[in-house]
Amino acid sequence: MTDAPILSLLVPAVGGQGGGVLLDWIVDAALVDGYPVHGTSIPGVAQRTGSTTYYVELSCERDAAAHGTPIFSLYPVPGALDVLLAPEFLEVGRSIELGFPSPGRTTIIASTHRLYSIHEKIVTGRGIYPIEKLQAAARAFSKRLIAFDALALAREHGTEANAVLLGALAGSGALPINADAYRAAIRAKGVQVDANLRGFEAGLSVAAGSVGAARAPAVRDSSRRAPSDPAAMGAGASQDIERMIAEFADALRPVLRVAIPRLIDYQDRAYAERFLERLRPVVRGGSLELATTVARHLATWMTYEDAVRVAQLKTRAARFERIRRDKGVGEGEIVVTDFLKPDLDEIYGVLPYRLVSPFARWAQRRWPHGRPTLGQHVKTTTVSGFLRVWMLTWLRPLRPISYRAHEEHARIERWLAAIARCTQWDDGLACEVGRAAQLVKGYGDVRRRMAGHFDRLLESVLRTAEREAATGEKFEASRSLASRYRTLVLQGPDSEAAAVTLAAEASAR
Amino acid sequence: MGERSFAEDVKQLGYGEGEILRGEGILAITKALLQSGVSYIGGYPGAPVSYLIDVLADANDPLLKPLGIYFEQSGSEAAAAALLGASINYPMRGAVTWKSVVGTNVASDALSHVASAGVIGGSVIVIGEDYGEGASILQERTHSTALKSSIPLLDPRNSLDSFARFVGEGFGLSEACHEPVFFSIRIRACHMRGTLRCRDNVRPAISMLSPLGAPSFSIDRINLPPFTYQMEAQKFDKRLPAAMRYIVERGLNEHFRGDEDHVGIVMQGGLWNTTLRGLHVLGLADTRGRTPIPLLVLNAIHPLVPEELIAFMRTKQRVLVVEEGMPNYIERELKALAHEARLPVEIQGKELLSPHGEYVPYLVIGGLRRFFTSAGVKSQSTAAIEDRYHALTAHREKVGDVLPEPVAKRPPSFCTGCPERPVFSALKILREREPEIGDTHVAADIGCSTFSTQAPFNVGNSVLGYGMGLASSSAVSPLFAKRTISVMGDGAFWHNGLTNGVANAMYNRQDSVLVILDNFYAAATGQHHVPSTGKNARNEPVPMTIPQALHGLGVKWVRTVNSYRIAEVIGTIREALTTRVPGLKVIIARNECMLERQRRERPRLRREAAAGRQVVQPRFGVDPDVCTGDHSCMRLNGCPSLTLRESPDPLREDPIAHVDDTCVGCGVCGEVAHAAVLCPSFYEVKVITNPTWWTRFVSRLRAAVIRRLAAVGT
Repeated sequence: MTDAPILSLLVPAVGGQGGGVLLDWIVDAALVDGYPVHGTSIPGVAQRTGSTTYYVELSCERDAAAHGTPIFSLYPVPGALDVLLAPEFLEVGRSIELGFPSPGRTTIIASTHRLYSIHEKIVTGRGIYPIEKLQAAARAFSKRLIAFDALALAREHGTEANAVLLGALAGSGALPINADAYRAAIRAKGVQVDANLRGFEAGLSVAAGSVGAARAPAVRDSSRRAPSDPAAMGAGASQDIERMIAEFADALRPVLRVAIPRLIDYQDRAYAERFLERLRPVVRGGSLELATTVARHLATWMTYEDAVRVAQLKTRAARFERIRRDKGVGEGEIVVTDFLKPDLDEIYGVLPYRLVSPFARWAQRRWPHGRPTLGQHVKTTTVSGFLRVWMLTWLRPLRPISYRAHEEHARIERWLAAIARCTQWDDGLACEVGRAAQLVKGYGDVRRRMAGHFDRLLESVLRTAEREAATGEKFEASRSLASRYRTLVLQGPDSEAAAVTLAAEASAR
Repeated sequence: MGERSFAEDVKQLGYGEGEILRGEGILAITKALLQSGVSYIGGYPGAPVSYLIDVLADANDPLLKPLGIYFEQSGSEAAAAALLGASINYPMRGAVTWKSVVGTNVASDALSHVASAGVIGGSVIVIGEDYGEGASILQERTHSTALKSSIPLLDPRNSLDSFARFVGEGFGLSEACHEPVFFSIRIRACHMRGTLRCRDNVRPAISMLSPLGAPSFSIDRINLPPFTYQMEAQKFDKRLPAAMRYIVERGLNEHFRGDEDHVGIVMQGGLWNTTLRGLHVLGLADTRGRTPIPLLVLNAIHPLVPEELIAFMRTKQRVLVVEEGMPNYIERELKALAHEARLPVEIQGKELLSPHGEYVPYLVIGGLRRFFTSAGVKSQSTAAIEDRYHALTAHREKVGDVLPEPVAKRPPSFCTGCPERPVFSALKILREREPEIGDTHVAADIGCSTFSTQAPFNVGNSVLGYGMGLASSSAVSPLFAKRTISVMGDGAFWHNGLTNGVANAMYNRQDSVLVILDNFYAAATGQHHVPSTGKNARNEPVPMTIPQALHGLGVKWVRTVNSYRIAEVIGTIREALTTRVPGLKVIIARNECMLERQRRERPRLRREAAAGRQVVQPRFGVDPDVCTGDHSCMRLNGCPSLTLRESPDPLREDPIAHVDDTCVGCGVCGEVAHAAVLCPSFYEVKVITNPTWWTRFVSRLRAAVIRRLAAVGT
């Protein structure tokens, strides 16, 4: 049997990414160049943001009539795929999971940008699928990998990612179709021809550049900065700050270079000094890891977002510049409306503790769930709207004696005391208790709920640790409780009940 | 109307003899209908055959009217099936289409009647078999409907030429056996791009240009006893035998002989491509389909022709049946025939492939491998087959090494700016903040709104059928301690919800709440017009409205709300759940489908901006230093443009919320943050392009003052 080789190409996409147009371009380009081709897709309900696939088969023998028409499959065959052209990087992982690309055969051309799935978004902590895993998988399951941020490149050229990916496909040479045939297909389609041709050329040169570097594919990634990357932190801190942090270990300083200016900006220099004072015993008693963890969380916590802080952040001149930049406003004008809805806690929170604490106790009894709120839409680019928010920043001197400060600092003290107690027992446990501060975030009800979890974690972990200390155990139970409780809560509200059960079981033991 | 522009396709539908049409499978079918001389076409849109309705709607004025063809988008599949009643009495050809199996279920009353009375004009039902990957409905096959109603069922090989041929044969078959004929097409085949050599369109003899003059009456075509007994007898004595004769005479089923005459494969036509590819990867066929394995390709899977099947099995020791779906009627029929004919042949099918599910390549290849390694063939050694199979699958064992955690799922959801999503935000907020009334049974319906059952809402306790949401809560409501809620879209309302939902609830004095999501279209299928859109599919004005329909049924408590105003929606639902007014409370949450709106608005704004006129476009954003990254907004919103980014704050570990550049400024993120009292992170920014001198003056003045104040503040 003499055989005409058939090449197959799968586009695993997300509905709404322009996969249909990409498919049409490839099919049309093949026809322009005289290759028998066919393509199909499964839109269905997936056309609305779900996973979806497009599939192309092409016969490498131009003259179909002379040899008999090739029989095309409507489905990709797992393990027999020649090209995986992925407009989004998680979908590469999905294709690998389904067995489509294989190390011996498949060229993977993928955009490294991510469209997060709803399941990654609704996690309270970090739900994003680790990109390193996806990169490693793409490398392991391809004969050749061309991975780059096609969306960023598209935006650079004022076009869409699908045109850039088409260019990368052409540049890769994975299909025998001539680059001019692709260009002709773009022209024939007649949609945004100039922009798409620009994108095509950009993608073409990226892929052409990577040809030859076959086995060591550079994953060009405009990737995220690792949050703990010290290099990203606090470059260019002032002399004064350097003097303040001189006593601390080199490894700790990058965090402090971010923390100190932020605390000064939040309140004043004395407040930053107070932070360092709180940090000193931790540094003395524990490991560097503990010190870094506590420094980071303590600085975040001490700059908690009360109404004054929000007002401060919302009325900065730099903010309006950032908005113009983020939204790509060139010559135009902007009108910014802020959606503010402080609840009662946030309102009395900025007032002096002695003044409002009786009222606060009453209010908490009166409205155990969901306090009254003061909803307002404020146009902060108008003078009156700006003033309404800006006036709040003048309450900053009152903050140290405010009700909210009283509450927050009391909780911070309990946390630090717990860390100090745990440090005497086990540094690993102290670190876990330090990390528990990650739970304290959000506004209003959310923050109250999260603080409740924090309190429960602290209490049950300390109780478990006391027991372990008494029986001379190695604090494995308390360490694991702290870590599991935090992880469960950070997974989202559905796991919070499990965390509570976990704590209850640990305490009952 | 419709999701795409069909101008090019409409042009192609007008092609004449020898011209080459390029497009999807469903377009080839549509063209073949026109080439068959149909007098009428109807149907109800639904994936994967919506496109047929879309393109015909656009073709109505330029193409169908001049040919005198009547076209309608029917009110439901039942109405579409009833359209075929025209061919019972009059010798005219007609075609209808819908999504199957659900559409067939809706249609089945009318369908049974048409199949019982029989037709004198060729009648073809194009069913989009929404089965397997990409399907949006429950998984059943249409095969059993064909069997019980004696409707011949075509399942042709996948190529545009084959589709066009079998549409023509479908009409011929229908006229030969006096039964309507199912033409089944799978999802991927509908969307398959290819070419078709066209023929001229045929002007029907009976048409709107040359209408019927006199009614035809024949009492033996009335579905009443004793004629129904005669009809039943005719089906088996005359009609199906006539169908079998036609199938044999016209060679609808294809027998490919091969050298390996001790084995053979019997397959549904629609599985031909996959089976051939399976043979190819195992080294038993070339890419042009030449194979030493004898094949019987059944393009007509009902009725089966016993002589044809026996003839194929006669020389064989082993036969494999590649038949998708259960029950495995073909396999059973073959086994029964072989038994009766005392053929020494072993017949296998489901046991080697899979008892259920779409026959995707890996299932078919696995089945072929098991079959051939056990049956043995001369042209390929067992070891070679095994080698090829392992070469194909070895890498799969290593997937777990590189991706230990499963990749996050990506369920379908509401589009950016969708006006239905905020209603489910409202329901979820009410459920969380006021569980004593809001945590109640919610009966969901079919349509985009079904996505409410998915993350992040998980609102909707049951999904039962199109327009059946309210009816499905009929027993739950009186047996539930709280007032229950039903949800349906406007499409569902007009399809079935008006009668089986609202009328039934009013008649039975149900005390519950119905939320109708009125987005002006049947949006899930691609913005198809519904009776309250204002125009029908032919673009003729239609004045029907939902409130009038409700009023006509005697519903007293009706509120209409702007679906984007979440606080208002919550308030209205709360009122409906707590009011002392008994009976059915209906809330109409209105706003146009954002896809359709953007399709119209975006080019308009682009034109305005290009012309130098002032254009104001709202966008939403999140202040990255205000967001603490607890993602509560995502859990209540789920907008695709509301996403994550790394926090610019190096002290924070968790990613924060971010509104990307696909935002259309619907305002829901701000509304959710407000209604659920989440956080002050969201802002709306009105971007003013080409500001007038006055706008510019005011903005500059404000900015100057603000700059000075801001400098004082920090």
